[in-house]
Amino acid sequence: MIVVTGASRGLGKAICDRLLSKGIAVFGLARQVEGLCFPSMACDVSSYDEVKAVVQRLKADGASISGLINAAGIASMNLAVTTPSSVSQNIIHTNLLGTIYCCQLIVPLMLRNKSGSVINFSTIAVALGLKGESIYAASKAGVEGFTRSFAREVAEFNVTVNCIAPGPINTNLLKGVTAAQIQNIVSQQIIPKQFTSDAVSDLVELLLDARSRSLSGEVLHVGGV
Amino acid sequence: MATAHQAKLAVFTAIGALLEDKSLSIADDTTLLGGDSIIDSMKLVELCLALEDHATELGFEFDWTSEAALSKSRSMFRTAGSLAAEFCQQMDSKT
Repeated sequence: MIVVTGASRGLGKAICDRLLSKGIAVFGLARQVEGLCFPSMACDVSSYDEVKAVVQRLKADGASISGLINAAGIASMNLAVTTPSSVSQNIIHTNLLGTIYCCQLIVPLMLRNKSGSVINFSTIAVALGLKGESIYAASKAGVEGFTRSFAREVAEFNVTVNCIAPGPINTNLLKGVTAAQIQNIVSQQIIPKQFTSDAVSDLVELLLDARSRSLSGEVLHVGGV
Repeated sequence: MATAHQAKLAVFTAIGALLEDKSLSIADDTTLLGGDSIIDSMKLVELCLALEDHATELGFEFDWTSEAALSKSRSMFRTAGSLAAEFCQQMDSKT
């Protein structure tokens, strides 16, 4: 079973749909899980206690976890100097601490089996240092750093940890970003076209496949940078 | 319910099970962290998982990410004795 955070919408939902279409069991986490057509549990990943409650349920259910996909994320496109502190804290708590909490608490379920794959999410904004995304980029740069170090910590347990860094994908996170801004970002990719959630799901499938077991601590840029 | 002595024995047995050199004896002051440790970081994680399983059998949840795990000077992992003491303390407070 694969645990997917941010499972109710956006990339997380698209990844769940893809995995389910391939017959892979999914356990979705999201703040709101009403209406999801697969096993799920309400969880705000920025709450250590709520993530811990998820692990307690997975243990009680005897679930065998083979993967964790940390797709939960929030964004706020704003200059750092005009961003309220509460917004900065929310972004860091959800994107960075949420990823760390899920890895700390859910990965031990994989360490027991000495097998598993963790996929975290970064953004092209880190590599390009995009203007107006400094706090979002900071949270995701933290995710990239955590990914590289954590990958070493669990490598001996045959658990891989990688990061996918998409460019602009059509999800709610792009709300407020103009077509011209999107085109400007896309033009800086090595493959200068806007990819869809399908391309991200393809990479997820690749990283969950045993044939990618030689990859760990890597950041995969959708479209290339 | 297990006695403190039984729980301590279980912790020491779990540590011993991870050692390649089975002739080593475990004592209260056996070091688990740093350069003098008898186990590496991977074995430490395996130890935590084993103690988590044992705690479940005893009817409580062993929290190895508690604040008590933090600093080297106060960490529950500094010695076999401190780990056994923390394990017993959590057992007493949660059962």
